[in-house]
Amino acid sequence: MTTATWTSSGHLLGLEGLTRDDLLLLLDEAEACLPVLRGDMPARTDLAGRVVANLFLENSTRTRVSFSVAARRLGAQVVDLLGSSSSASKGESLVDTATNIAAMGVDGIVVRCGASGGAALVSEHVDVPVINAGDGRHEHPTQGLLDLMTLRQHFGGTLEGRTIAIVGDIASSRVARSNLWSLTAVGADVVLVGPESLLPADFGSFIPSGSGRGSVTISHDLDAVLDSVDAMMMLRIQFERHDGDGIPDDYRQRFGLDAARAARLGAGVPVLHPGPINRGLELSAEVADGPRSLVLRQVTNGVAVRMAVLAGLLASDG
Amino acid sequence: MESLLIRGGRIIDPASGLDATGDVLIVDGRIADIETGSTLDPPQAEVIDAEGCIVCPGLLDIHVHFRDPHQGQLHEETIGSGSASAVAGGFTTVACMPNTAPALDDPTWIGHVIQRGRERDLARIHAIGCGTIGRKGREIAPIGELVAAGAIGISDDGDGIEDDAMMRSVLEAVHEHDTCFMQHCQVPSMTRGAAMNAGPLATRLGLIGWPVEAEEAMIERDLTINADIGARYHAQHLSSGGSVDLIRAARSTGQPATGEASPHHLLLTEAACDGYDTSAKMNPPLRTESDIARLKEGIADGTISILATDHAPHPAHSKATDFASASFGIVGLECALPLYKQALIDDGVLDWPSMLAMMTTAPAALVGLDASGAGRLETGGIADITIIDPDLEWRIDPDAFRSKGRNCPFTGWSVQGRALATIVGGRLRHHIEGIEARLPGSLLQG
Repeated sequence: MTTATWTSSGHLLGLEGLTRDDLLLLLDEAEACLPVLRGDMPARTDLAGRVVANLFLENSTRTRVSFSVAARRLGAQVVDLLGSSSSASKGESLVDTATNIAAMGVDGIVVRCGASGGAALVSEHVDVPVINAGDGRHEHPTQGLLDLMTLRQHFGGTLEGRTIAIVGDIASSRVARSNLWSLTAVGADVVLVGPESLLPADFGSFIPSGSGRGSVTISHDLDAVLDSVDAMMMLRIQFERHDGDGIPDDYRQRFGLDAARAARLGAGVPVLHPGPINRGLELSAEVADGPRSLVLRQVTNGVAVRMAVLAGLLASDG
Repeated sequence: MESLLIRGGRIIDPASGLDATGDVLIVDGRIADIETGSTLDPPQAEVIDAEGCIVCPGLLDIHVHFRDPHQGQLHEETIGSGSASAVAGGFTTVACMPNTAPALDDPTWIGHVIQRGRERDLARIHAIGCGTIGRKGREIAPIGELVAAGAIGISDDGDGIEDDAMMRSVLEAVHEHDTCFMQHCQVPSMTRGAAMNAGPLATRLGLIGWPVEAEEAMIERDLTINADIGARYHAQHLSSGGSVDLIRAARSTGQPATGEASPHHLLLTEAACDGYDTSAKMNPPLRTESDIARLKEGIADGTISILATDHAPHPAHSKATDFASASFGIVGLECALPLYKQALIDDGVLDWPSMLAMMTTAPAALVGLDASGAGRLETGGIADITIIDPDLEWRIDPDAFRSKGRNCPFTGWSVQGRALATIVGGRLRHHIEGIEARLPGSLLQG
């Protein structure tokens, strides 16, 4: 019997500190939420009477809605504070906005912001649980969890020894960083694939090796890894984080996953994407909507992992 | 006639090589006598007991930011608070960098800084003039007029001069007017959005990396241009080991190039930024152990000859934000001395005389203040003197700083060595609490 240690900080700021046991326990909790989402089990009341604030200072639709659905499925009420409508656009700082929301008596704050470390900063200034819904280039832990959950479902058990390719705009990607921590923690090997301008060599060296962690390797040649991977995670090119430089003109030709490339993947090798997809760039429509795609499964699992996280942090908060 | 006798200290004067126990007599603001063979016993002199202490020339810091003028800025420091901070740290002379609002690109503003310093009457306050108008790098500043108005050096500090032709023009003007140029070595196109040293840690934290090449490339360019011109060229706050190699090579060809090191670049690595600790956000950024080792090699062989704090006060709120948005820089004047000692003397790189040379004779020579007697002890010279207890142990507490800035990554460090008393022009301008027994009663009342 393992016990949860991921809640010990009172926040979920990243997957960096989470152990294999933490991650698997969270996935088990999330799996238990799926019947509620399907209507096979009655709605939960873990967070009845609680209020969750979505503080989203960067554009996002699906992550915010996913958190909202998750909170409501637990019986909580949700308030949204969006970048364009909140005081952030009047120059109020992230910390000021968050402390004001906390002072209104909300029970938890879900933070999305453009600043790496922004969620951790908020957590230092409020006394309610903070959940990182994506902070700059740093981490997007619930995305990492839903990806892990989707892969575990697909493989029907352990990810140990599986090779997962993460392809694309790694440098800008908080999704890639969260996935690096979680996938290696459960023993999966990660191969990062992208052009040199979007995949600095440092990505090969910041995850500590050993202690049962999977390995991290770097490739700049997608075609060379297609026949050796067990799953493909395609990332969105984040044009908003580039000044136009860094994205090679021939990106689609070299790193886009189209039907011809997908045909070279092993039988049953799935394709994931965190969305929203630049269709026809990193992923062709045929592949995005084809039999290998787990994209919609990811979306469903996203609600389940967010339920598990909210329940774990807010229900135990007294 | 006012006489003050500093009795029984270890007198270190790097300029003359003096290092012996003895007495220093000050009469009417000037050094009247230095006696190391026997003791002085002039009648009517007030006596400061310096036994067990180092008595040395007043320290110079040629790189501080006192934020005056400050139109449109918050009062994050004033020349008054900065001066108090300087003497509290043992510094008798400082040079204020010109990245103020407006920038010090006009003789009037040079005069303003000097005048404010005289009014505050604590430390000797000097000004550095801009190399280009508004520090924008497009139009050369009136360097001759700035020097005539009292500027003791030229810099666009806060920014490097990016344009090659402009750099040449500025170095030529600096050479022509017999002053020095202090470069803030940063190629802007390589550091857009950058917040900390480029490497695995920045990648993990999701912060944009600041490569060492951004510093080295500018130094290499500058040294190439200056090879023919031969201006006094000074590279500020070095962070990269590669920069040391470049300056060393230029010096070996006879080019008058010098390097500068700051306490934080000698004691902290990029690891201090982990957890998004904005108190460790610096420009240039903290680097690696390897860079520290190479900076120390450069100090040991004289490539880096000047220590300077880059004292940079910021209001608390500009550091209490996310790392990428936070201000660069830390306050340094009041804790620099023990930090230098820890980095350089305790580590066996230097001894006290050689370290004090980097805070007295070398900076005075660079900015031409040696002619006025600054940075050395000599009979007849001005009595700017710092009395240091090299063994005093204390804890760094920014809340006790005279500076208005509290932004300091050394908060809570236990350190050894402190300026007990700071004498400017023969007058005691600062002493720490608890040494009253060493001082004559008349000084305490004053």
